[in-house]
Amino acid sequence: MSRETATSDSVADRETASDDRSDGRIDRRTLASVRRVGLYAALLGLVAFYLVPVETGLVTSFKTSEAVRTTLPFLPPGPGGATIEKWQFAFGALSNGMVNSMLFTVPSTLLCAILGSMAAYGLTLVDWRGQVAVLALFIAGIFIPYQAVIIPLTEFWSVWVELDERLAFLWALPLLEEHHATILELIVTHTAYGIPICTILFRAQYQTMSWEMIEAARLDGASLWRVYRRIVLPLSVPMFAVVFIFQFTQVWNEFLFSLTIIRSVSDPAASVTLILSGLGEALEGVDFPLRMAGAFVSALPTLIVYVLFSDQFAEGVRV
Amino acid sequence: MRDELRAVVERWRDRGTETGGDGAADGDGATKTDGGTETGGDTATDGGTETGGDTATTGEFRSERSRIRRILDRDIVQSAPFWLPPFLLMGFFVYAAIGWNFAISLTDYAGFGSIDYSELGFENYRAMLSDPAMWEATRNTFALLVGFTLVCLVVGLVLAILLDREVRFGRTFRTIYLLPMSLSFIVTAQFWMWMYNFNFGIVNQTLGAFGLGPYSWLGNPQLVLGSVIFALVWQFSGYTMVVYLAALRAIPNDQYEAAKVDGASTLRMYRRVIVPQLKPAMVSASVVLVLFALKAFDFLYAIWGYRPRRGADILATKMIREAFNKQEWAYASSIAILLFALSLAVIAPYLYQQHRQGNL
Amino acid sequence: MAKTELDHVTKRYTERDGSEIVAVDDVSLTIEDGEFLVLVGPSGCGKSTTLRMVAGLETVTDGEIRLDGRVINDLPARDREIAMVFQSYALYPHMTVRENMAFGLEEATDLSDAEIADRVEGTAEMMDIDRLLDRTPSDLSGGQQQRVALGRAIVRDPAVFLLDEPLSNLDAKLRGQMRTELQRLQADLGTTTIYVTHDQTEAMTMGDRIAILDDGRLQQVGTPLECYHEPANLFVAGFVGEPPMNFFEVDLENGTLVGQQFEYPLSERTLADVRDHDRLVLGVRPEAVELVADAETPRDFRATVDVVEPMGNENTVYLAFDAGDVSETAGASADAETFVVTVSGMRRVEAGQQVVVRIPEDAIHLFDRETGEALHNRELETAEAAPPNF
Repeated sequence: MSRETATSDSVADRETASDDRSDGRIDRRTLASVRRVGLYAALLGLVAFYLVPVETGLVTSFKTSEAVRTTLPFLPPGPGGATIEKWQFAFGALSNGMVNSMLFTVPSTLLCAILGSMAAYGLTLVDWRGQVAVLALFIAGIFIPYQAVIIPLTEFWSVWVELDERLAFLWALPLLEEHHATILELIVTHTAYGIPICTILFRAQYQTMSWEMIEAARLDGASLWRVYRRIVLPLSVPMFAVVFIFQFTQVWNEFLFSLTIIRSVSDPAASVTLILSGLGEALEGVDFPLRMAGAFVSALPTLIVYVLFSDQFAEGVRV
Repeated sequence: MRDELRAVVERWRDRGTETGGDGAADGDGATKTDGGTETGGDTATDGGTETGGDTATTGEFRSERSRIRRILDRDIVQSAPFWLPPFLLMGFFVYAAIGWNFAISLTDYAGFGSIDYSELGFENYRAMLSDPAMWEATRNTFALLVGFTLVCLVVGLVLAILLDREVRFGRTFRTIYLLPMSLSFIVTAQFWMWMYNFNFGIVNQTLGAFGLGPYSWLGNPQLVLGSVIFALVWQFSGYTMVVYLAALRAIPNDQYEAAKVDGASTLRMYRRVIVPQLKPAMVSASVVLVLFALKAFDFLYAIWGYRPRRGADILATKMIREAFNKQEWAYASSIAILLFALSLAVIAPYLYQQHRQGNL
Repeated sequence: MAKTELDHVTKRYTERDGSEIVAVDDVSLTIEDGEFLVLVGPSGCGKSTTLRMVAGLETVTDGEIRLDGRVINDLPARDREIAMVFQSYALYPHMTVRENMAFGLEEATDLSDAEIADRVEGTAEMMDIDRLLDRTPSDLSGGQQQRVALGRAIVRDPAVFLLDEPLSNLDAKLRGQMRTELQRLQADLGTTTIYVTHDQTEAMTMGDRIAILDDGRLQQVGTPLECYHEPANLFVAGFVGEPPMNFFEVDLENGTLVGQQFEYPLSERTLADVRDHDRLVLGVRPEAVELVADAETPRDFRATVDVVEPMGNENTVYLAFDAGDVSETAGASADAETFVVTVSGMRRVEAGQQVVVRIPEDAIHLFDRETGEALHNRELETAEAAPPNF
């Protein structure tokens, strides 16, 4: 403290040698810099809080089972205790799930974004009576706990639709297999439950669009569809980025639908979250390095997306 | 169409004036020409009826068409291709499914054969009342909701205020604090199982350094719920921070400066001027948080499977267990209805308030 | 190009709480082919709603809107051959000026790409925006955006132009320039134009005729000078003109107007117009009041100068009647009626000065106090000799 006062004192002297108010200014300046140090200390402490579980997981995933017991959990393993064996195993166990998750996440993300944008356009930039009621149903749809629909949903897919049998003629084709019926079910399911949030995200943007601009386009002779194609869609590109990123993360991370529609970890359609939930469990105890490696492998796509597009992600969760 | 009509009218007019000036009076024209020369009368009546009939049908056709057009031109109809398909897809999977779920909850379906809707009753709801595990799950659910939401709101507020003003690398800090939000429940569960590990976990090792513990964080019924809340706060406080930050950014700079000019200390400025303005953000954040907590099933399942440790069983896990583990489908769907009612109790007032403020 | 008719047009809204609001009330109005009509009124008077009904952006509750005799009530906006310039310009931000101008032609016509390009470039040249064709709206100044918005409307060669407060976002100098330019453009193109504004200077200077709306009802339609010199009612008299007309509440007693602080004798000719009415409002334009050397006629009054606002070309003088000069009715001078007079800028008038004002009888307006209806307007021969100051 005293040293700080001394330095700022000399600085103040150089600046305004004969300023009799300089005392008060020094005090305030010192106070401000102390406060600044405190602020950054708090911020860094919080960084530690948010990163320790991740960091611990990362170092643990490179440890042998022996090193896990002998080293501190957040320290890297010694030279003898390091291995990439767990990562290799996790990749092997999860690769199929990664493919499956990609197969339903990407299409349903695209569908959600397109349908959400269209719905938001019809509900925001076209004015009609009763809009609010429909809109309220969309918003409430975001908040429905999946438990409230999960039984009819499984009943619907497994008893009523039976896609795998109905589409049996398809499985003879190259590249298509029977478990793709389950993937298709997941695409439809994720799309249906993703529409509300995507609609609201797009609506938030469309509300800020100028009404007069839409009206000008309609007076210019454009139909509703042309207004959407030529005016609204080009202007919603940034929001599409937000929705893609947000919805991709949501669908990739989703677990309950995987558990109830795919059901079995050993199903050929098993998603990455489903496989991860059963990874590394054995009679002799939990293989933590393997679990950590598995966690990172399965989180890899979302982590990459997050690090690259954290701004869009932040915007997506805000609504 | 119009040109044709005009041509017909002109042709007819050329025939002479005595047949009647306008096509609407075709009856008159016909009687008049009856008295005239035969040929003239013939052509004239022909012309008369022709035009008359033509205008009449066209007129009718027109008004019919314009009525249809008017309906088709209505914006609700015009915009339907945009919002209706998504609405139907979503409506079927959300609202029809909830209705169906309610129907199932009135049966006694337990996984054998197909669902029998012939005998409906509230048996399952009665069973719920007398199920002690239900009461415990409900109590845990509420404890989780309240604890998780409150702590998240406070932690998020602190984070937001720290990051609000002129912090260097503010974006980097924000990115780090929000990072857990991008992970799935299953992944965070893996991390925290390791954090909470009795023998080697960081939590116990750190406490051990101060001579405390070790505690069985995920085993002791007194501690489990707290441990879960702590882990969930780790995952979701970043969300609250983002919501608050957006609200803080919306407060004009003048207010900070005015408060400073008025001589308020930073702490007082936030307490008296800024935080009260965050109330709408707080309300919407807590609605979302409550619903996150209602969905916390994934996290609990990843740690304990279908049956969480005693003290951590919530309605969401119990419902899935009754259905997919014990095959008590009808009973499970009545629990699902209870969960739905709970979330409705949160959303409905929120939506109503938003509607009244004109935010919908 | 087209004659536009509004025939008993009414617009009612239902509010959320179920109450009804009449935004436009039984307005009948004919805009001749090629005419420049200005719709003017205070904000909320229904002028924009009227314009939007013509555009097809609002439905018509009652009545008919006809374009060249054809009822267009149910015709969608895009089929009406109408171009509109919005207050915010409503340019498409993601398109260049060229694309903005071509949009309407692409959407509404079958013109080939080459024809569209030709027309866009031709119009751009005429509007002097050809150098801006490849810029986007965000690169343009407010005035340039305004020109592009106009160009976008003109390029479509519509039957009717609708302009909704197009100049209100420009600064005062630019606004003056655009005012003359718009008039010149409209005269060159000869397109029927409806122009909405709340600015009465724009109304007076731009339109062939102006239509004055208040509270959803049409108050008067006429040339600017008609509305100025022969207002149909109190509202029009007060709305048109700056500074506004002076009003005094008066009672007619034995052929004399008795005001709070003065008495004003009427001639037989004027009396003939106001017979059967005794509760009146006397109106007189600020520039019609003369400052004279001495009280010579019964229509001369002593007054004291309260405030003088020198405008350069003229002085706006605020006056109060002298209490002493007035009859016994006006005891309290605290609520002395003040009124405004404009005099030449060269004339020296100072606050506190005692003056004599003359209110010539040929310059007075008389209105019924209950209905607001004009009973007697000033005589126009003299009015034409002395054009008003706007």
